[in-house]
Amino acid sequence: MEAALRVGAADGAIAALRETTPFGDASEALLQRIAAIARPARFSAGTRIYSANDTADDIFVVVSGRIEHVFKPEVGAREAHKRMTRGGVFGWAGLLLGQTQRLASVNATEPTEALRLDTEELVKLLESEPLEGPLIMERFATMIQREFTLPALLAQVRRLSGPLTEEMSSLRLTMYRLSLWLKSPRPYLMLIGFALFLGFWYMAVEVWKLPRFREMPGVTGVVKEWFSPEPTYGLSIYTAEYYQHIWMSVWRVAQAFFLATLLGVPFGLLLGWSRKFKEYVFPVFETLRPIPILAWVPLAIVMFIATESAVVYLAFLASFFATALNTMLGVESIDESYVRAANCLGANQWQVFRHVIIPGALPFIFTGLQISIGVSWFSLVAAEMVSGQYGLGYVINTSYMMVRYPTIIIGMVTLGIVGYTTSALVRIAGDYLMEWRVRELALAER
Amino acid sequence: MSRGHIVMQDVVKVYDPQGAAVMAVDHCSLEIEPGEICMIVGPSGCGKTTLLNAIAGFHEITSGRIVMDGELLCSTEKPKSVPGPDRIVVFQNGALFPWKTNLDNVIFGPVMQGKLSRREALDKGRAMMADAGLAGVEHNYPGEVSSGMRRRVEIVRALMNDPRALLLDEPYRALDSLTKSVMHEALLEIYYKNKVTIFFITHDLEEAIFLGHRVAIMTTRPCKPKKILNVDIAHPRDYSVLTSKRFRELIEETNEAVHEEALKAFQAGEKEG
Repeated sequence: MEAALRVGAADGAIAALRETTPFGDASEALLQRIAAIARPARFSAGTRIYSANDTADDIFVVVSGRIEHVFKPEVGAREAHKRMTRGGVFGWAGLLLGQTQRLASVNATEPTEALRLDTEELVKLLESEPLEGPLIMERFATMIQREFTLPALLAQVRRLSGPLTEEMSSLRLTMYRLSLWLKSPRPYLMLIGFALFLGFWYMAVEVWKLPRFREMPGVTGVVKEWFSPEPTYGLSIYTAEYYQHIWMSVWRVAQAFFLATLLGVPFGLLLGWSRKFKEYVFPVFETLRPIPILAWVPLAIVMFIATESAVVYLAFLASFFATALNTMLGVESIDESYVRAANCLGANQWQVFRHVIIPGALPFIFTGLQISIGVSWFSLVAAEMVSGQYGLGYVINTSYMMVRYPTIIIGMVTLGIVGYTTSALVRIAGDYLMEWRVRELALAER
Repeated sequence: MSRGHIVMQDVVKVYDPQGAAVMAVDHCSLEIEPGEICMIVGPSGCGKTTLLNAIAGFHEITSGRIVMDGELLCSTEKPKSVPGPDRIVVFQNGALFPWKTNLDNVIFGPVMQGKLSRREALDKGRAMMADAGLAGVEHNYPGEVSSGMRRRVEIVRALMNDPRALLLDEPYRALDSLTKSVMHEALLEIYYKNKVTIFFITHDLEEAIFLGHRVAIMTTRPCKPKKILNVDIAHPRDYSVLTSKRFRELIEETNEAVHEEALKAFQAGEKEG
């Protein structure tokens, strides 16, 4: 009997919650959880429910009756008075950033039934619902701004812990973004883009046989060769040689890239930090930088007797210039105010360098590293075509000379995939180190 | 005890870009009482920021002297003072480090100076943020909160160092008028709790009279006090002051002087900034 009554009460609570703005579209399961923490309350006509500046503890949902809600003048609501009936929600000040006190006084003008929700309990509950929780908080913010005519500045609701908050590690943040991405239309548009591209290739070569494409390997031929256990020209995902080439190129790029980062970042920091150092070095740097990497090939072969080091050296050189230049620009881009503020706050030169210059330059440094890994691949393949054994550049070049056209395409596509992967790894490392930036961009919905 | 007593005597600043000397500040003398809110009003580009930079130690002065609490900051012989946590600047566009959380920003000063351990600083920082109505945003980055909230965090970051003076360089210039009014009251509230000397630069006369004990209206380049107004409206103040009769009278009394300088600056074609 008692249990039945309780169930009946819960149903009534859920029905009332359903008529409110913040909880209106919530799932049945969530509404049940909220109803479970709701406490019923009754107020006779004329009762003061709470006054402005009281501690903001409970949130109220009107079930029946009528109340009058009056903001204190400092709040700046466009309409200070508001009457509420069933479906009205008040007492939400505790959900706002930086608010701990009631912003309004509330009186029952008729006999009123309401549900009381403890703010902290509700917040905890919403935090355990990573999908719906933030949405409900968003609806609260909208309601406070629209229905209560409060300035947007005040209507900012607290952020739930969970996604996008302090406990959230960068890795989880990345995963969270990934899950958002999968839910957006973007991946499907991307697939359509690929399908169109491959479709055009297929039509151009195998159906329309367009003049320029006549000699090109067709998409079906390439795919067959690539996934064949017994490839006609000796290279597919089933041959050990294929992975040897990939591994060789990746290993060379890794050496070049790490060396370039290890030397390029400190070099760039020094260029940006010390005017004197820059005056000595920068003109030489700027004269060497525009020289195309292919022009270095003969010198590299003369300098390094072993072709292996020559190839790595060429990839390193291009990387180094990109990293150093961007790091320098990063240091120079830092707003003077940050350095001044740090000085005001008593930081010494080294502390300014460590806490202002390095983190301030980080976004540029990572832009530099993205470019660096790209040009590193670019110059590596160029170098592998000229000298060296193994490697994807070598595959492409020898396949051309031996008229194994599908293998050229296999080499190219593999380069694209491996190159994209390394560049994505650099980006993930950047996101990991610059959480502040990721969050800023996430807020700007980018 | 006199704390945050700043005396400027005959301060002169001459810029010398491309050989053509430009006098930014001309024999400016001004005394700021301990614990006073002194508002400096002048049109954009009149040279008032130059004055602030001299006190803060960002720029050299050409001649004159600036003394704080009997301690020489800079003079003709020692043209540049050393920036330090006894007088902290709040910048026009805000200078919270975007790569540190609000709380890490707030504790930056004491931790860098080695005055508090990180843990002690965290406790103090949390308490001061809560006091300024900033509970709940400690672990957000500055880029995640509203601009009004960022300004408050920046002031708390300064107050963590128990400074003798706060030097504010048009801190609310970029805010919309609604946010501005919220910020004014928040600033006063913080001031009533932590009586520090406030040197506040603005070009907004209403803002100056609403906040200040005294308002110094500056001439446009070269910059020096043209008129000093004692605002005889009792503190603590709140927004009802804005509609009071006395407030209107004071505005009327000074409006002309400000307008005159603005006109001069306009005719001289001063670059804003």
